[in-house]
Amino acid sequence: MVDNAAIRALRTMDLIPYILENPGISISSLAAKFSVTEKQVENDLQLIFMCGLPGYTPYELIDIVFEDGIVSVIDPQVLDKPRRFNKSELIVIALGLQILIDINKSNPAQLAKLQALSKKISKLGSSNLITFDPLATNSVFLDLIVKAISEKKHLEIQYNSLIKDKKTRRAIDPQSLYFLNGNLYLSAFDLDVRSDRVFKVNLIEDCMVIDFRDHNNLSEPTKLFEVVLDVKKSHRNFIERNSSVISSSQEIGDRFEVHIQISNIEWLKRSILSNAPGITVTSPSLFASELVESANSVLALYQA
Amino acid sequence: MERMFERDKDELRSMGVEIEVKGLDPLFEDDQGYLIRTETFQLNGNEFASDELLYLTMAANLWHDSALSNDSKGALLKIQSLSGPIEFNVFNSPVVRDNENSQMLATAFEAIEKHKKLSFKYNGSQRSVEPLGMFMRSGFWYLVAQDEKVIKSFKLVRIEAKILTEDGAFLKPEGFDLTDYLKKYTEEEVFEAEILVRKEQAYSLRSKHLVKEYDSEWDLMFIPYSYEPEIIENLLWHGQNIIVRKPLSLRNSIVSRLEEFING
Repeated sequence: MVDNAAIRALRTMDLIPYILENPGISISSLAAKFSVTEKQVENDLQLIFMCGLPGYTPYELIDIVFEDGIVSVIDPQVLDKPRRFNKSELIVIALGLQILIDINKSNPAQLAKLQALSKKISKLGSSNLITFDPLATNSVFLDLIVKAISEKKHLEIQYNSLIKDKKTRRAIDPQSLYFLNGNLYLSAFDLDVRSDRVFKVNLIEDCMVIDFRDHNNLSEPTKLFEVVLDVKKSHRNFIERNSSVISSSQEIGDRFEVHIQISNIEWLKRSILSNAPGITVTSPSLFASELVESANSVLALYQA
Repeated sequence: MERMFERDKDELRSMGVEIEVKGLDPLFEDDQGYLIRTETFQLNGNEFASDELLYLTMAANLWHDSALSNDSKGALLKIQSLSGPIEFNVFNSPVVRDNENSQMLATAFEAIEKHKKLSFKYNGSQRSVEPLGMFMRSGFWYLVAQDEKVIKSFKLVRIEAKILTEDGAFLKPEGFDLTDYLKKYTEEEVFEAEILVRKEQAYSLRSKHLVKEYDSEWDLMFIPYSYEPEIIENLLWHGQNIIVRKPLSLRNSIVSRLEEFING
């Protein structure tokens, strides 16, 4: 964004209450937080030195100190509070609160507080024209997982694997939680198989903190398979949902030629079969034959 | 210089800052000054309790890795200007990841707010629509808009190239309510599938639906569904561990899909 006078004025007004609440912050941290260069922060601070209220004596000036790259505000005059949230910020907060409400359904105390706060935010003017469908994710283990990530603790989970179609117990080093395609996932290092794994949080059936196991998070090298798929346009949802494993996708008439690099071949088999006949394998031919064989076995059950 | 000053004031006003023009000095009443009232401009410091500030941080932080990251960052800066440094725990709470285009989202949000028409290419044809709202489903954003007097949903990731705002405003259709629209959009007839599930298999289905003993090899399960392609996808995922018994239409659909897949 071009740094014009209005944007600079608003940033300056944002800087003062931020520094006030975070005294002794470094110029480099401020630059990172406000997405500007250190030089721009220094220029803004120089500007603040000359700002104040009518009266125009030193007593009415904003008092700020910065030395050796460290900044503190002594007297902010009236700029001691941040600007109101703008419309887009209110939308982000309102949607975020809605997600927190959805994933805390099993925690009545937190739920009540979140619902009250959500009402407060809607009164501040968040838009009811931007919303989202409720999430199905609701895990009683969420707080425990967040705490384990923060405190670098290891967990043992019982996991209902969709791909292997069995329940397994795993010792994991939890790394991060994220929503993708409407599902909540836990990214973790599996301590037994020494590899990174991703778990759907709503398929975790049991979870407990275990003793820390010393390890390095270097995964054993995984073998990647290159598969070329033919995806009908009616099934492009598959492409949109799995962009992280798709190396290229080219539209050819009413279909897409999709190149995938993947380690979890069982997941791909199940995905192709469940989308039949919308997705077919172009190469490798052996994998294509294997899938046709699987489809034949399923069909045989219906013809018996 | 004066032109620059006027332009800067206009810019601030367009960013939502209320600027009053009035005589501010009692000794020189004719001299006009400019005033931004703190109550119209600043958050009230007592507006949020400390636990609320924590939830606000978690709510805003959820989007910091998504197409809404700029707004998330802006909100977080303001929250931290009220709360001070944030507990480390918050940054380990979940975040949303998406493949949406942030510029497209911002344009759509603004057009909805300001009742501006949007034009874009979708499914190979050029559209000029009146945007009425947006919703997120299964991790994807959809634009709800009136296109040639019909209210439709457009998946944002399928919009080809750019989304542009047109000049002039439009009138929102009387009585339109996004929540009602979404309710109607999702209200579908519910059917029931009767299926056989191989013993000790299909755990994800077993955890959601009631299972009855059928014979030594199979169990019986009843699954409610509304959208046939969705249940077919879920059932075929389990391959040889599922057989659909009823309804016949669902069973036939599965058979024809498999035959088409096998015969190419």
